[in-house]
Amino acid sequence: MTEAMPLLAVERLTMRFGGLVAVGELSFTADSAAITAIIGPNGAGKTTVFNCLTGFYKPTAGRMTLNTAAGPRYLERIDGFRIARLGVARTFQNIRLFPRMSVLENLIVAQHNGLMRASLFSVAGLFGLPRYRRAERAAVALAEHWLERVGLAEQGDIDAGALPYGAQRRLEVARAMCTRPIVLCLDEPAAGLNPRESAELSELLLGIRDGERIGVLLIEHDMSVVMGISDHVVVLDYGRKIADGTATAVRNDPNVVRAYLGEDEISSLAEVAG
Amino acid sequence: MAARLDRARAPDLPGAAKEAFLAAIVAFVLALPIIGLGTYDRGGGRLAVEPRWDWVAIGVAAVFGGRLLMALTRPARRAAGGRRSWVDRAGRALRPIQPYIALAGLLFAFVLPFMPFSNRYVMDIGTQLLIYVMLGWGLNIVVGLAGLLDLGYVAFYAVGAYSYALAAQYLELSFWVALPIAGALAAVFGVLLGFPVLRLRGDYLAIVTLGFGEMIRIVLVNWYPVTNGPDGLSGIPRPSFFGLPFAASAPEGGNSFHTFFGLPYVPEHRVIFLYFLILVLALITNLFTLRIRRLPVGRAWEALREDEIACRSLGINPTTTKLSAFAIGAAFAGFAGSFFATRQGFISPESFTFIESATILAIVVLGGMGSQMGVVIAAVVLVVLPELIREFAEFRMLVFGGAMVLIMIWRPHGLIAFREPTVHLAAWRRARAKP
Ligand SMILES: Nc1ncnc2c1ncn2[C@@H]1O[C@H](COP(=O)(O)OP(=O)(O)O)[C@@H](O)[C@H]1O
Ligand SMILES: [Mg+2]
Repeated sequence: MTEAMPLLAVERLTMRFGGLVAVGELSFTADSAAITAIIGPNGAGKTTVFNCLTGFYKPTAGRMTLNTAAGPRYLERIDGFRIARLGVARTFQNIRLFPRMSVLENLIVAQHNGLMRASLFSVAGLFGLPRYRRAERAAVALAEHWLERVGLAEQGDIDAGALPYGAQRRLEVARAMCTRPIVLCLDEPAAGLNPRESAELSELLLGIRDGERIGVLLIEHDMSVVMGISDHVVVLDYGRKIADGTATAVRNDPNVVRAYLGEDEISSLAEVAG
Repeated sequence: MAARLDRARAPDLPGAAKEAFLAAIVAFVLALPIIGLGTYDRGGGRLAVEPRWDWVAIGVAAVFGGRLLMALTRPARRAAGGRRSWVDRAGRALRPIQPYIALAGLLFAFVLPFMPFSNRYVMDIGTQLLIYVMLGWGLNIVVGLAGLLDLGYVAFYAVGAYSYALAAQYLELSFWVALPIAGALAAVFGVLLGFPVLRLRGDYLAIVTLGFGEMIRIVLVNWYPVTNGPDGLSGIPRPSFFGLPFAASAPEGGNSFHTFFGLPYVPEHRVIFLYFLILVLALITNLFTLRIRRLPVGRAWEALREDEIACRSLGINPTTTKLSAFAIGAAFAGFAGSFFATRQGFISPESFTFIESATILAIVVLGGMGSQMGVVIAAVVLVVLPELIREFAEFRMLVFGGAMVLIMIWRPHGLIAFREPTVHLAAWRRARAKP
């Protein structure tokens, strides 16, 4: 891939809900081996961008190009589960694990498509053929690798729903990584984590960027995480992009200061009133 | 602080009384027409209505008392929520030996026909029970694993039964040839039902599948030229023992079961054979489910039950995954249906009413969704117990309803709520540690 071709290019993406423009004419790019943060006040449209990218919403207008090894793919035309198969994995703002399945099972389900092929749509699996057993062994090994990376190596056999909150967040990242993605979309992965856990998360994401060399899209409110690890920050306000650049450049951008200042005033007012 | 906690735990008598009173009013309104009005014969076949105030009073009093008890014990139950009940503790203790219990049950099922107390009646109940166990295991794939609430499962049972009956009548296919065809046809119907309900969940899905079950039954009632309507199909051929018929006199130039094995003719041979046939069919259903749970499709079913959106985000196609659950669940009902047809020798739409779907679903839900052992226990409770207490046949539905209510209060996740993971990290590590 040449320098000119980013991993992911979003052009003039617009998503309307009735009269509400949740995302308006948004353009940005994201590269491999880089962390691209998308920040902005609540309701700015960040999650909506992810929902468009991962096929949960059909955007009203715009183009989203994913440059895969097999050529460009236009995500706005593809079904959600097929987008995932192209290598776009995500986590959710409200954690969505399979709570009544074990931690390991969550990671095995993430490798569904490969295992399905190896099991010849279950026929080989039904008869326990060696080709399926090999694939299953590899799947468990990959799952174990990610369990170690997120610090859950000893919790593999307990129900995912029984994990503490912070561990569930990390498991969701591990599950997304088990799909072997080329783009990883993380929706507020540090929400509800304590400072130590947030720092561990930053380490994990840097490790994924530098080890797996995939593109990471990060929605996050915790500025210590965002400013510490992002290569590139996109700022949204009311669905529009108001700034785009390095962390330092964005932090000093007057538009950004105004947007965040406004929010701070409102929240401090609310505190006084409450 | 402590005082406040105590008050929260103490039973709230006026509140409980109010709650019980409201429940009693509802019970009164329902009981008035349903049990309050009886009919009796005035002679000459003329019926007259007679009020039964005593029954209404008993019913309303029972509801008031039951609800009062429930409300008063609720704080205690809630406080015990964190602690394990004796059922949980017993279950936990039995868990390691569950495979042996299953094995013992299996062994018992195999030797039952040769026990001294075994007779035709026992065999009939056993066969009946195994039909429901098989249906429960089949529906467990759809409801327990994939989490798709299906209230019309009996439709596929009917498709299987009529497939065999019609195939035997028009195409003169033998049971063994018709069996896979019936399963395949039922699976096709499973997919046909699956398509329109792909987007539905929970209650909506239940209503549509209920409608589908009724549709199939109504078609069977009205499509007179083919299904013979409410009169049903009779003279359905009995299965042979791999080509050897169970007949008193051997067919010309051939053998029947008893002449081939040099046994005296006893009609019970066929009954025992049918028992073993459904036992094997049910076991196949069980083994298949146990196996497929550990395969990618099976795990995808369970994942779909847990969170469909997360499944999509992992590249799982929800459409094909759901349809495969509907199809495979339906196929087993189809097999059970052809068995039913060949056993009865006569089928009519009356055998495939909603109450059958409800019974099978109750077996799955009471047993504990997804639990294979739970299905067996619930089937014994719902099928065998009513047989044994025949004298109280009038109270059958009352007991049935009462059992449901009690289970939903004390074990909302069914008798066996425990779920065995399909893969164990510890086991893999142990296997790897070995040279
Ligand atoms: N499915 C939907 N239907 C209607 N409005 C929506 C929907 N999803 C998001 N919105 C609206 O779009 C706006 C942006 O939401 P969201 O993307 O969740 O913001 P955030 O930046 O906090 O993630 C909000 O005003 C929200 O109410
Ligand atoms: Mg959001």
